[in-house]
Amino acid sequence: MSYCETHALAVGYSAPLLQDIALQAERGKILVLIGPNGAGKSTVLKTLAGQLAPQGGAVLLDGQSLTDYTPAARARKLALMLPHTPRTELTTCFEVAAAGRYPYTGRLGILTAADKAAVREALALVQAQELADRDFTRISDGQRQRVLLARAVCQQPELLLLDEPTSFLDVKGKAELMESLRTLARERNIAIIVTLHELELARKLADAVVCVSPRGVSAVLTPQEAFAEENVRTLFGLSAEQYAALFGKTAAKPKFEHYIRSGQKLLRCGYTTGTCAALGAAGAARLLLTGRAPETVGLRTPKGLVVEVAPQFCRLTAAGAECAIVKDGGDDVDATTGLPVIAAVALRPDAPHTVTIDGGVGVGRVTKPGLDQPVGAAAINHVPRQMIAEALHREAEAAGYDGGFAVVISVDGGEEAAKRTFNPHLGVEGGLSVLGTSGIVEPMSQQALLDSLQLEIHQAALRSRRLILAPGNYGLDYLAENLKELREIPVVKISNFIGDALDMAASEQFEQVLLVGHVGKLVKLAGGIMNTHSRQADCRTELFCTHAALCGADTVTCRALMDAATTDACLAVLDGAGLRGPVMASLLDAIQTHLDRRAAGAFTVGAVVFSNRSGPLGQTKNADTLLKMWKEG
Amino acid sequence: MHNRKRLTIAYLAMAAALLVLLALNLFWGSVALSPSSVAAALLGRGQDALTANILFQLRLPRAVMAVLLGAALSVAGYLLQTFFANPIAGPFVMGISSGAKLAVALTMVIFLNRGWLTTSLTLILAAFAGAMAAMLFVLAVARRVQRMSILVICGVMIGYICSAITDIVVAFAQDSNIVNLHNWSMGSFSGMMWGNAATAAVIVLPCLAAAFALSKPMAAYQMGESYAASVGVPVRAFSVALVLLSSLLAACVTAFAGPISFVGIAVPHLVKQTLGSAKPLHVLPGCALGGAAFCLLCDLIARSLFAPTELSISSVTAVFGAPVVIWLLVRRQRGEAQR
Repeated sequence: MSYCETHALAVGYSAPLLQDIALQAERGKILVLIGPNGAGKSTVLKTLAGQLAPQGGAVLLDGQSLTDYTPAARARKLALMLPHTPRTELTTCFEVAAAGRYPYTGRLGILTAADKAAVREALALVQAQELADRDFTRISDGQRQRVLLARAVCQQPELLLLDEPTSFLDVKGKAELMESLRTLARERNIAIIVTLHELELARKLADAVVCVSPRGVSAVLTPQEAFAEENVRTLFGLSAEQYAALFGKTAAKPKFEHYIRSGQKLLRCGYTTGTCAALGAAGAARLLLTGRAPETVGLRTPKGLVVEVAPQFCRLTAAGAECAIVKDGGDDVDATTGLPVIAAVALRPDAPHTVTIDGGVGVGRVTKPGLDQPVGAAAINHVPRQMIAEALHREAEAAGYDGGFAVVISVDGGEEAAKRTFNPHLGVEGGLSVLGTSGIVEPMSQQALLDSLQLEIHQAALRSRRLILAPGNYGLDYLAENLKELREIPVVKISNFIGDALDMAASEQFEQVLLVGHVGKLVKLAGGIMNTHSRQADCRTELFCTHAALCGADTVTCRALMDAATTDACLAVLDGAGLRGPVMASLLDAIQTHLDRRAAGAFTVGAVVFSNRSGPLGQTKNADTLLKMWKEG
Repeated sequence: MHNRKRLTIAYLAMAAALLVLLALNLFWGSVALSPSSVAAALLGRGQDALTANILFQLRLPRAVMAVLLGAALSVAGYLLQTFFANPIAGPFVMGISSGAKLAVALTMVIFLNRGWLTTSLTLILAAFAGAMAAMLFVLAVARRVQRMSILVICGVMIGYICSAITDIVVAFAQDSNIVNLHNWSMGSFSGMMWGNAATAAVIVLPCLAAAFALSKPMAAYQMGESYAASVGVPVRAFSVALVLLSSLLAACVTAFAGPISFVGIAVPHLVKQTLGSAKPLHVLPGCALGGAAFCLLCDLIARSLFAPTELSISSVTAVFGAPVVIWLLVRRQRGEAQR
């Protein structure tokens, strides 16, 4: 049986305002009444306090009907704290708190030594002992509420009722009061019933919740049930927009707001799985190092943009802590969008400044050579690894922690989602790859991208008759590092739309165009594939294989090439067979042929091919000419 | 225990002031009596019958009455302040004294016109009825308005209405009674006799004791009605007791000495400041002591300042009391602005 419970209780002043109230309060627990103003929270509380006669039904306190108690007996079981502070004059905080001894003192209310000790103890419990001799009117609102709480504690109640105790408090006052209430529930085993109009506070304080609305009073709900969006919206009559405006953080996680223009449209960027993993690692580490789960975590991506998001969850585990960040691809919806990337972090105090990173469930494992990571390693590319390590070092530094970390990244539902990607084909098995070189996903809606590409090429045409096209970030990086002298020439990032870009360049009447790209993309040109997205066509290994065969490779080499996971692996096979030079030359010739065909004489076009691992691989005939010409100015 | 020391010193000082003023009231008067003859008469060794007469039939009953009624007035004021949770509540300001005065005047005129004798008891009963009527009116107003200033204005208006009716009543009184009635309606301790004093004591002393016995719930009530109820004070019974006690005390004073202004506000306030406490347990005895001393002082001034002409006691109490009320109002206004 609960310490305080009501049976078919009806409350109101002259007529029932609310009926059929059945609530239970347990000792040691905090029950919060929430609901709109004027719904009757305070009326319920006053009835529970015995200050208002029930309009029907009964209140049972410790198994006995409240109406059967004498006022004095009731005051020893039940204390009440009201929202307004009493006006006092010439009264110290000690005397205010001592007013709670009323049910225990004699005829004239003179305090015994035991009473005084109880008052001092109560003040200490709410951390107000230093206020004892101060005048009650000369302390802050927060301090006053604590002294009044001490007054209630002096009654040595088993049930404590509080009506809007935080109304006039600032943030600190609220925090202190909440702490005191928790202490009371826990250490004094008091049943606490409190009305609160601030949902955020209620959410943090409640062990159980009762919703009071003009339509009726709910049963005792768990906080999860009570603070669910549906319930809160019904209770307060909120529209979805109003709810989102008030509780946006919980309804819709703060979105990463960065847009790129494309023609008339704005496309929202997202962040990569690598960014998610690094954010999650930072969140979990902060929880471990500070003991507090962060509301949001943020980092600066390699691209330079700051991503700050609220974790889906951040909690302690047996081994350490884990923190989940939901992947957001922005307007570029791919297989990973919406999946939580979970970073489980454990502290390694004995291994200073180290970070070991591994993949868990939903993260693939490399099974073929030639990928970013060696065979057997988790499919977490080096940039994400670096981001994770940097994020953890930053957390460690902020917390003054010298040890190391062990991180396991997993993706909820990653294994399933990986089937819709090229991972199995690439040689990554069992889950997704954690990728991303810039940390940011720029949306790739085809038409939008083509529109923006058109615009960029047009803008470049205003500056020059010469143009450099790079499929992706790799190409840009290569340019910046190896071809610094070409700074003056406009560069446009063209993604996979190589054919379209060439057409646009023709219509913008460029005279000289140079493609600079990773072999993994540009090798496809040798087969005349002008959209290099892997959804369109792959054929990379086939092309390597064909050209190697033409250059005299044996069957074993051809087979190895066909089985290679990536172009870098192909290059390694060719190196092994001593055929890299002739095969690349043959491929570059084919690339030149296909480029010329597409350009159809509108301009001179060449290509520079490189690999991240092997560096420059070569350039087509026209590229030689163009580079020579451009370097001279 | 700084507080206990302060309380002791304050009580001792008030008691000393009371004794000194009592002595002064006995020694001082329109008939000059030598201190030695007064002392001799007091000790029962006086040879002079006139001195003994003046002392025992005039000055001593008057002084005792001032003590009793002064205590009654300030305690009544304190009870009302507690009840209304407001430092400027008091029997005079709230029109309760005026109600009692009107009832007493009506009774006197009717009785005198018909040639009946008015006893102390009839006057007290009439005053109590008048006080209760005024009190009920004030309570009815208090139920509707929360602002104390409006309540006080209502009280003052009741006072004016009652005074106006009293004046009209006096106009119909027989000539011989007018002087008496007029003197009384201005408020005075003159002409008190042992019989009056005894009747007053029978009413005032039990009331004071009862008020003191209520000091524990009174302290709880100072925190507000809901808090009082939450610690187990039977609020309804308690507030009825407060209203009855304060009305009875105010009525008793009015019946004997007419309306006396501002004592009920000024004394409790000064006592609280002197004691550095607002606890009823401390303030109630202080109010009784302080009120008695204050009235002795005021009576001494009233009858000796322009001797042999006697001033009305209210003129003197108002001079001391009204500034205190103004000061309280200003301070309260400032306090409200700050909140």
